[in-house]
This record gives sequence, structure tokens and C-alpha cells, in this order.
Amino acid sequence: MVVRFTRCDRRRLKEVLQGGATDRAESELAGHLEECEHCRRDLEMMAGGPEVWGDVRSFLSSVDIPPGPPGPVHSETTTTRDSLTSSEQAAPGAVWRRQLGFLTPSEVPDSLGRLGAYEITDVIGRGGMGIVLKAFDPALNRHVAIKVLAAEWAHNATARRRFAREAKAAAAVVHDHVVPIHYVDAAGEVPYLVMACISGHSLQERLDQSGPLELKEILRIGMQAAAGLAAAHAQGLVHRDIKPANILLENSVERVRITDFGLARAVDDVSQTQSGVLAGTPQYMSPEQAAGYAVDHRTDLFSLGSVLYAMCTGRSPFRAETAVAVLRRICDGRPHPIRDINPEIPDWLAEIIGKLHEKNPADRFQTASEVADLLEQHLAHLQQPQSVPRPGKLRGRSFLRSLTRSRKWIGVGAAALVIAVIVFSAVINDRKPAKENQERQADDGQASNSVNEPPVPDSGSRSQTPDTTRAATSRSEVDRDLLDSQLQELRRDVLQMELPRRRRESPVSATPAAVLEMDRQLRSLESELKSTAR
Amino acid sequence: MAEIPNTRFSLLARLREGGDECAWTEFVGIYEPAVYGFARKKGLQDADARDLCQEVMRAVSQAIDGWDPDPCKGTFRAWLFRIARNLLINLAAREGRHPRGSGESDVQRMLEQQPAAEGADSALFDVEYRRQVFSWAAEAIRDEFAVATWAAFWRTAVEDQPIAGVATALGLSTGAVYIARSRVLARLRQRIDAVEGRTPLFEN
Repeated sequence: MVVRFTRCDRRRLKEVLQGGATDRAESELAGHLEECEHCRRDLEMMAGGPEVWGDVRSFLSSVDIPPGPPGPVHSETTTTRDSLTSSEQAAPGAVWRRQLGFLTPSEVPDSLGRLGAYEITDVIGRGGMGIVLKAFDPALNRHVAIKVLAAEWAHNATARRRFAREAKAAAAVVHDHVVPIHYVDAAGEVPYLVMACISGHSLQERLDQSGPLELKEILRIGMQAAAGLAAAHAQGLVHRDIKPANILLENSVERVRITDFGLARAVDDVSQTQSGVLAGTPQYMSPEQAAGYAVDHRTDLFSLGSVLYAMCTGRSPFRAETAVAVLRRICDGRPHPIRDINPEIPDWLAEIIGKLHEKNPADRFQTASEVADLLEQHLAHLQQPQSVPRPGKLRGRSFLRSLTRSRKWIGVGAAALVIAVIVFSAVINDRKPAKENQERQADDGQASNSVNEPPVPDSGSRSQTPDTTRAATSRSEVDRDLLDSQLQELRRDVLQMELPRRRRESPVSATPAAVLEMDRQLRSLESELKSTAR
Repeated sequence: MAEIPNTRFSLLARLREGGDECAWTEFVGIYEPAVYGFARKKGLQDADARDLCQEVMRAVSQAIDGWDPDPCKGTFRAWLFRIARNLLINLAAREGRHPRGSGESDVQRMLEQQPAAEGADSALFDVEYRRQVFSWAAEAIRDEFAVATWAAFWRTAVEDQPIAGVATALGLSTGAVYIARSRVLARLRQRIDAVEGRTPLFEN
């Protein structure tokens, strides 16, 4: 008894229970527990009390959570842990197994059941849209991956419709760098699609294992992914969820295969409408996606930029602690400069990624094939610097901006020039013509009289002169009024051309000297015109 | 279409205010199957049971805007689980009295309203709920333990196999089995307390 009491120690029980005890303390306690029923009871009470032990027995015995190893959720094909939402990560096995009720029983050993003609052999993973199963196709004697629309969505008409539409669209894309879709059954009780089972790993897994990639690898993977995207875009299909987890690297050849076209987000949209919950990781979203605006194929180009960034640096560009903060950074922030993180990345690649990362889709590359070509050219140059020239420098935003700006200034200059010419000619016309006018008037005096004034009998030529002079003056007055109004109009135009620029840019932006000079000349011409007219 | 991002952002923003962005996902993961199981046990057809799930989830997600982040009133999780239960019990009571089809405001009122009478429905639902929360938590914590530790817990506590036999099968001492099963159970309870908002979520 004395021995028992010295070794019974509630504090130590608690420590061991919370896993905070040393191995030695733990094995000591284990030995003690074998003899001491009192401490066994204490330990169990501290852990939970009889009602919890009872609940565990009654509630968990109906749940199929195998007591063996959890079983790695290794994805050969599509959905990896990265693409699972937190709740799915937290509770995989039981939920899937409960959801496999739609399978018809099968007598084939190792088969979990049958779906259509396919023997289901394993659960690979779960994404936003449903379960991914590994299956065997007995007819063609090959393994396939089957994506099944999750039960909670199979009964939702909108989700079914989108699933069917996206799956059919995806099946139409046949390209070396896109995971082929063999079959789509969207009409049955459980909609599903059958695709090639790619053995290999995802780019995400590769990044997790080895961090930033070699430049040639970045270009090769980027180029192939862009080419796959281009093929899909040509079919009018937007992926909407381009991220390293959806870029598969096929074994041995490491051929890039894009998977999950339009599917994950198709169902996510429905899910968000209903529950307001954002599924999956937003890290590779585009700003237009993050803000909930309509997207087109250029959303994939932004995401491709993020994938390239991740390959260069080993991490995604827009990272933050919470999903909301990630979305905010995507919309407003600029990623940390690539070359600060990995100085081995050349400028031109950082520029390409920068252009893909433009917030405004119109400022990005406009097609995936353009990107694929550019990366291919760079790769070719890298591999054969002698025979292949390096592609020209990227016409980045700053260049484009400066170009458009200079165009604006060309406009302003042109307008000013037109004014100058008009004013100048008007001044010339107004200043010199006094004599010429008089001469001309003298020459065709009769005619002009006959036109302007009723012929006056008994009137001599001298009496006519003041009249014609007055007529000439009044005409120049009309001209001047016209000129003035034209001048004002042009000035207004010039002003309007300048205004939006001023409003957009910083208010203190300097006006180029040339324009100031032109403006000065314009003013002096103007005043000259006025003084002459007087 | 325009309300999608708004809903999403407002929900995310509210969750963030509550400092707990996992709360909703975890809540849905536990509550949806619980509501479904309850509805089926009440004799509802599959489609009707799913409708009920959707109705509950939608009402609750909309009600999140009305949540008052006052620490005195308890955690967001605790509130979430409480109003969902209120809604469900009241909804079930209404079903019993008259056929479904009342307006939105009715549903909104049921969110904050304590169930009038705790009858057979609430007991039935609580059992379904406990079942879900236990299996959810078991899944959630399983990867935290070594295979043998988990097996020791599962075989002795859940399957009620004799301790000595399990110890031999797993190559452990009986004392180690006692420690293993208690440790898993303690963690399980802790995880359930955390998901329901009774204790702050230090981990995860």
C-alpha cells in the first residue's frame, strides 16, 4: 500500500494524458497502471468520464473508421491535399465511405463496388465537386480515375447541369498537355466522368519536395501548361482553377498535364451561392475571380503567372494568414519581387510573370499561346544560345503606358499645331490683305457692287471706296469671329485631352516642355491676332 | 449573380471578425449530416431530407449577419450551434403542426427562439448530432496519433475488445494500452469542446 501511494500521482497522470511526459515517465506509468486499478480509473475519468466512454462506444461503433493506418491520401491523378478544403482535410475517410453508397456491390476481390462498367478499387481524394475514385476498366484493361459529383450536389439541378456542361466541354479538349477525359455520364443517378489515370505527381507535390525549380524546368513546365491552356481556350473553355495541384507531371517523361478543367469551380459557384462558403484555396485566383466579377480565359493567364511565380520562388505569390486577406492581396497587392527571393531568375522571366500578373486583364498577355510561344523561344535560346536568338525585350506596361501617353501628347501637339496654322494664316490674311483687298475690290468693284449693293445711279467710283472698305472690314470681322470660336473650340479640345491624364495621374505631374512652348506660342499668336484685328 | 461575392465576403468577414474562419466549414461538416440523418429517421424521403438540410444551412448562413460579436454572449461557434439547433427543433415542431411552406420571417424567428417544448424530436436530433460530432472529431484527430495508439483506442474503447488481447496483438503492454486509449479519448473530447465553441481553439 505504501508503495502504491508514493507512485500514484495525479499530476503525472495528467502530463501523460496530454502527451507532455517524457518517454521514461510514460513507461513508468504504464508499468504502474498494470498493477494499480485506482490510477487506471483516475486516468479514464480524467480523459472523459463514463458518459463520454459510453458515447464513444455507441456512436463510433456504427462509423467505419478503420483502426489501421489512415491510408495515405496520395493522388496519382487529380485532387491532392492542397485542393481539399479544411473540413475535407479534417474528415476524409468516414465521409467518403459513407458516400460510397451509390456503388453497386461487386464480387471482384479488392473492388469497393461497381460504378457503370468500372470496378472501383480505391478512393483517391476529394475536391470541391466530389469524390475521386481509382477504378479499373475491364473492357479496355486499364486503370482510370473517376470523378463523381458529390452526393450533396447530385441532387442539385444547377450543380448537375454545370457538371454536365463543363465535363462535356472538357471532354472535347484533346491535347498532349491536358488529361484526357474518356467518358461522361451526366444523366445517371450519380453523375461522373472517367478520365485517364496519370501516374506521377502534381507540381504542388514537386514544389513541396524540392522548392524552387531550375530555370529550364520552369520554362518547360510553364510552356506546356500554357500550351494546354491554349488548346482549352480555343474550345472556349476556361479552367478557372489553375494551380500547381492541378498541373500533373507524368512519371518518367514528366510531361505536363492539366486537369480539372472548369469542374471544381463550376460546383464551387453553386456551393458559394448557397452557403456563401469559399471552397478550396484562393491563392491562385485572379483579381476578377476574387472580386466575383465575370471571368474570361485571361483569368487563367493570371493564375498561370502565379504558378510560374511559385516555380521560381517555391511559394505562391499572394499569401496571407486568412482567406480574406489572400483575396485582398490578390486584388490590391503586388507580390514580393521574384528576384529578391531567387536572384537566379532572369529579369525577362520576372517581367513575363509581372505582365501575367497585371490586375487588369487587358494589360496581360491576351492569349495562352502567346505565352507558350514566348516561353518556348526563351527555352530554345537557353538550350541553343548560338543558333537561336533571345526573344526581344518584353513590351511591358511601362513601355505601353509611355507609348499611349506619348500618343496623347502627339494629339495635343497636333491640335496646337492646327491652331497655330489657322491663327497664323488668319493673321497673315488679316494683316497684309488690306492693300490687296483694296486692289481686288477696285478691280471687281462693279461686280461686287452689283452683288453687295443695289446699283446707285449717279454715284462715282470714289464714293464707292469707303463702302467696299467697310465691306472688307466686316468680312474680316466675320472671319475673326469664326477663327475665335474655332480657336476656343480647339483650346477646349486640348484641355479635354489633358484633363483625364491629369486626373488619373499625380496632380503634380510635369507638363512636357515642348507642350508648354507650344502653348506659349499659341497665346502669343492669339494676342497678335487680336491686336491686329483692332 | 451579383450577390454571390457579397454573400461570400460578408460571411468571410463575419467569420474573420469572430476570429474563426474554420468555424463555418466545420459546422457544415458536422451539422449537415446530422440534420440529414435526423430527417431520415423522422421518415422524410431523401430529397425532402436534403431540402431540409439546405433550408437549415441557408437560414443559418443568412443569420450570421445578425450575430453579435460580444464576448459576453459566448463564442461564435457556440452561438452557431445553438441557433441551428433552435431552428431545427422549431422547424420540426412546425412540421408536426401544419404542412411546410411558411415564409422566410418565420424561419428567421425560429433561429433565436428557444424551442417551446423539448420533445421527442429534440432527443432524436441530439442523438444524431452526437453521432455526427463524435465521428467528425474522430476523423479529425486520427492523424495525430500513431497507428498503434489509435488501434489501441479503437479496439478497446469502440469495439470493446479485452485489453489484454489487444495489447498482445499490438505488441504493447497493457499499461501502454490504458494510456493510449485514454489519451485519444481526452483529445477527442477536447476537439469536440473546441468545435462547439466551449473552449478556445488553441490547436488547429
